[in-house]
Amino acid sequence: MAPLKVGDSFPDGVKFEWAPITDGDATACGIPQEYDASKEWKDKKVVLFSVPGAFTPGCQARHLPPYIEKLSEFKNKGVDVVATIASNDSWVMNAWGKVNGVKGDDILFLSDTKTFFSREHGWPAGMGDRNGRWAMVFDHGKVIYAENEPSPKDVSVSGAEAVLAKL
Amino acid sequence: MAPLKPGDKFPSDVVFDWVPIKNQDATLAGTPQDFNASSEWKGKRVVLVSVPGAFTPSCQAYHLPPYIDQLDKLKAKGVDQVAVIASNDGWVMSAWGKVNRVEGTDILFMGDTKSGFSKKHGWDAGMGDRNGRWAMVIDRDGTVKYADNEQDPTKVTVSGVEAVLSNL
Repeated sequence: MAPLKVGDSFPDGVKFEWAPITDGDATACGIPQEYDASKEWKDKKVVLFSVPGAFTPGCQARHLPPYIEKLSEFKNKGVDVVATIASNDSWVMNAWGKVNGVKGDDILFLSDTKTFFSREHGWPAGMGDRNGRWAMVFDHGKVIYAENEPSPKDVSVSGAEAVLAKL
Repeated sequence: MAPLKPGDKFPSDVVFDWVPIKNQDATLAGTPQDFNASSEWKGKRVVLVSVPGAFTPSCQAYHLPPYIDQLDKLKAKGVDQVAVIASNDGWVMSAWGKVNRVEGTDILFMGDTKSGFSKKHGWDAGMGDRNGRWAMVIDRDGTVKYADNEQDPTKVTVSGVEAVLSNL
């Protein structure tokens, strides 16, 4: 399917796998559950960014940390939920959040292994099953921003700065 | 292919995806390289452990920590190298080692995503692409000395460190 674009509605039936972060210890595994994004995000303003892989150099060094550092700026601009997805399973995503010092549901670390949102409604990385590097913003079920990195090694249009500028 | 069994020779085409652990900070992603197990493990006594997934409950709770705790006992029994593989990539495996406070090459954490060793020469989990939960001992002459697979991948018996220690 074609990637979502500005003005589109957030699709029905989007589910992620989620192991909530309930403590700071990455050796204590989370318990996976289903996260119904279509339902949870219906009445919210949501920033969703996708990365090719947890614990990988580009995602770790330049993509995720600015979102963590600027979380309060997102909240100030009315964002209810910041979420990141990758093709890793929810245990790996949970651990990735923990080692980055993320607590609770400040940023949701979700696994895109249920309904393959990136492949169906976003962009793949073109490297095996990996997700592409992109960002989208949804405002009460409407897409208001959707941009994919031309090179998944770079962080420009999917970075925290670019997204903040569009809010 | 059939899983390796005691008396078989370790195959010549085994490569893993390895991101060496060079520090203890799991937020610093390392650089992946090929680990050619067939050549690296020539002349070494190796315990190779496969798990369905890094950071997953059984692997973390019952399987990996005893190998870390009893590394000295394994070394005392002549083991030159302990290695853990899963179908996760090398970055995830490296991070898993770090959060478990494994340093350097004490235990190698590697992705089985290069040559699909578990699928070709071991056992798979029967859950998607995940590796099975099993353990093998490869002796210095390249002969498989022990190879056993958990019938139930949520359990740790024949692939646990106690079972491996008693077969060294």
